[in-house]
Amino acid sequence: MSPAKGTPYKINVPGSSLSYLQQKLSLATLPDELEDAGRDYGAPLADIRRLVARWKGGYDWRTHEAKLNLELPQFTRDIEVEGHGVLNIHYVHKKSEITDAIPLLFVHGWPGSFLEVRKILPLLVAPKDPTDPSFDVVAFSLPGFGFSEAPRKRGFELKQFAEVGHKLMLALGYNEYVTQGGDWGDWIMRTIAQNYGRNHCKAWHSNAPFATSPHPIRTPLLMLSHLLFNYTPAEQEGLKRTEWFRNKGSGYSAEQSTQPQTLGYSLADSPIGLLAWIYEKLINWTDNYPWDDDEVLTWVSIYWYSRAGPAASLRIYYEVHKANPQLAMTKAYSTTVPMGYSYFPKDVVVLPRRWLQAPNLIFESEHDSGGHFAAHEKPQELADDLRRMFGKGGPAFAVVFGKLGYYT
Amino acid sequence: MEAPFRIAVPDSSISLLKQKLALTTLPDELDDAGWQYGAPLADVRRLVARWQDGYDWRKSEAQLNSELPQFTRDIKVDGHGVLNVHYIHQRSTVVDAIPLLFVHGWPGSFIEVQKILPLLVEASPEHPSFHVVAFSLPGYGFSEAPRKQGFELTQFAEVGNKLMIALGYNQYVTQGGDWGHLITRRIAQLYGHKHSKAWHSNFPTGNPPHPIHRPLLLLSHLLFKYTPKEDEGLKRTMWYRDQGSGYFAEQASYPQTLGYGLADSPVGLLAWIYEKLVLWTDNYRWDDDEVLTWVSIYWFSRAGPAASLRIYYEVNKAYPDLANKPEPTTIPTGYSFFPKELISLPRRWLQVPNLVFQSEHDSGGHFAAHEKPKELVEDLRKMFGRAGPAFAVVPGKVGYA
Repeated sequence: MSPAKGTPYKINVPGSSLSYLQQKLSLATLPDELEDAGRDYGAPLADIRRLVARWKGGYDWRTHEAKLNLELPQFTRDIEVEGHGVLNIHYVHKKSEITDAIPLLFVHGWPGSFLEVRKILPLLVAPKDPTDPSFDVVAFSLPGFGFSEAPRKRGFELKQFAEVGHKLMLALGYNEYVTQGGDWGDWIMRTIAQNYGRNHCKAWHSNAPFATSPHPIRTPLLMLSHLLFNYTPAEQEGLKRTEWFRNKGSGYSAEQSTQPQTLGYSLADSPIGLLAWIYEKLINWTDNYPWDDDEVLTWVSIYWYSRAGPAASLRIYYEVHKANPQLAMTKAYSTTVPMGYSYFPKDVVVLPRRWLQAPNLIFESEHDSGGHFAAHEKPQELADDLRRMFGKGGPAFAVVFGKLGYYT
Repeated sequence: MEAPFRIAVPDSSISLLKQKLALTTLPDELDDAGWQYGAPLADVRRLVARWQDGYDWRKSEAQLNSELPQFTRDIKVDGHGVLNVHYIHQRSTVVDAIPLLFVHGWPGSFIEVQKILPLLVEASPEHPSFHVVAFSLPGYGFSEAPRKQGFELTQFAEVGNKLMIALGYNQYVTQGGDWGHLITRRIAQLYGHKHSKAWHSNFPTGNPPHPIHRPLLLLSHLLFKYTPKEDEGLKRTMWYRDQGSGYFAEQASYPQTLGYGLADSPVGLLAWIYEKLVLWTDNYRWDDDEVLTWVSIYWFSRAGPAASLRIYYEVNKAYPDLANKPEPTTIPTGYSFFPKELISLPRRWLQVPNLVFQSEHDSGGHFAAHEKPKELVEDLRKMFGRAGPAFAVVPGKVGYA
């Protein structure tokens, strides 16, 4: 029985939404700023002012919408989620010309979106070099993000997000598949590997790997190594970055994990509020990535014009935090299917390599530059990592039965 | 020079607000969300509708002007130039009333003195009277905001102290909660004895038992139980720390980022503040117009709502270890304990040599002056009255005719 076809989808924001945004922007009220604030207090006023001016006049959503529709073949289909009814899921699906391409599910996070697959898509689906493997790529909008419906009930957490990703792959005829992602993608893929590993999820790759810190009781050997042996300069820098993120860079997460509805009112009502909230991360979490103003505005517009509105996207923090209060502390993060990690120095949690070692960690790749949004900042490097991991001679070659990624 | 002040928000500000409200976009909400995810949609929707149509700012403005005698004057702050500060000043008919500086916090304002003001200045042979000064913290209400970085507790304390001295109160007492607690404590540290003679707080904090820093307290903690009330207080404190501190984390790290939404979206600001007005109080029956007046003071504030957030950043930066190493004070101190205060610690954790007055209450929360004005004033009368432990603490100003 062939799987029911997804409904082809083209982003087509109503004209009324565009003009409503313009009305709001025309009433924009900007705050002041302290002298020499720089980036210390948050998104700088000069940047926001400039972006708002561009958004009002110059930025053309229709052009970018058309480009997205051209580059990304999109669909929607209904996915039933246990206890949550049916959710209509938006996704990108591009098949390689190679019949036995490796099925890959790309999972985004916050404040990302399906957009993050844009640059790596052609590299994965149609590599120029025949020695590189090819992939069929599926990139869904998480429920509550992009053009997917949002959950209506409470309690939609990692288990449910994983269920959606997995069921989507099955619905597309991919009984076995691999996954790639970062940010929430990392946690969701982790859950997919735990719940559907071996039979379905055959391997997974993260550009935002996570592990707990050494602990005298939980990981005594790691603790010993931590005390006895130095970390490399790169690892020390990574620890400093991680400390910055935990001590200074996690305010957004604290609010989103506890009172997402309260925050949601300003993000839903104020395009400038939403712009600043996201823009600050686009800058702070990347490695000197030269953001183009229109690029920023497209990222933010996806949230502004999203099917469920921007407030819905915050709830994942609350639900996961509530369902797993000790998530970061426990070994609940461990998996057993083959796993690959790519390390980018300016990601927000950058841990010493020995903390991340696991029996199933079969691929690691170090990078000298790049941050949190690896697929967007370093598409070539990320694609190369996946090629080395899954290609001929790689540690995860032929992990999906019959789907080697090459002409046969 | 002091100038009399009346709140007079320009018509253009009111009409811009109405224009923005008319374009309000509300988010959705999960089924049965209740208060679990933040301010409930039904409440916010109702408040927005009222704000747009029905709520009359001019009426509230007139009422504030008629009840609160307001002024502005320039205060020079070391390293920060001159700031024009807005304040309420009402003298009692009792000539030798006790000068009292009331210091508000966030998301409060000068409005928090409104109910206690007439009770404090009231003359009676039964209880002491006060001359009351309540200023808008720089960046709040109708005070100018600091322009430079680094305006922290020391600077807020400097403004309060200089204001009192400028008004002819060389010696005075203070009352405060929230930031008012930390600011009046700083006043006590910097200007205690010489100017500040005693301080009263409804937001008492202290250090927990610790094997090195507070060993005797740790021993007592291990050996002796806490009262049911204290156990409830600890639960409340844990709730605040685990569920109720998201706003603090963002305001202390990236206030500018948050500020854009609060400055541009009336409903965003409304929700951000309203959530606290409900979660931080003890079943206080807020009237919709009352909420809208509180929020309007932020919306129409001189510096805009984004400026009010910076105190979190500046204090967090200046005192990274504030929670663990507060410097002691040496002037007489009084504490009032309200059960729904956010940080509600076992009483023995709060004992200090100069704690001369304590008062327990069965109800009331964070905004004591607004929720429990009679009770708070009663506490101040007991602390500073003839039979009280801080009687005549300001020489010559004992508070009686």
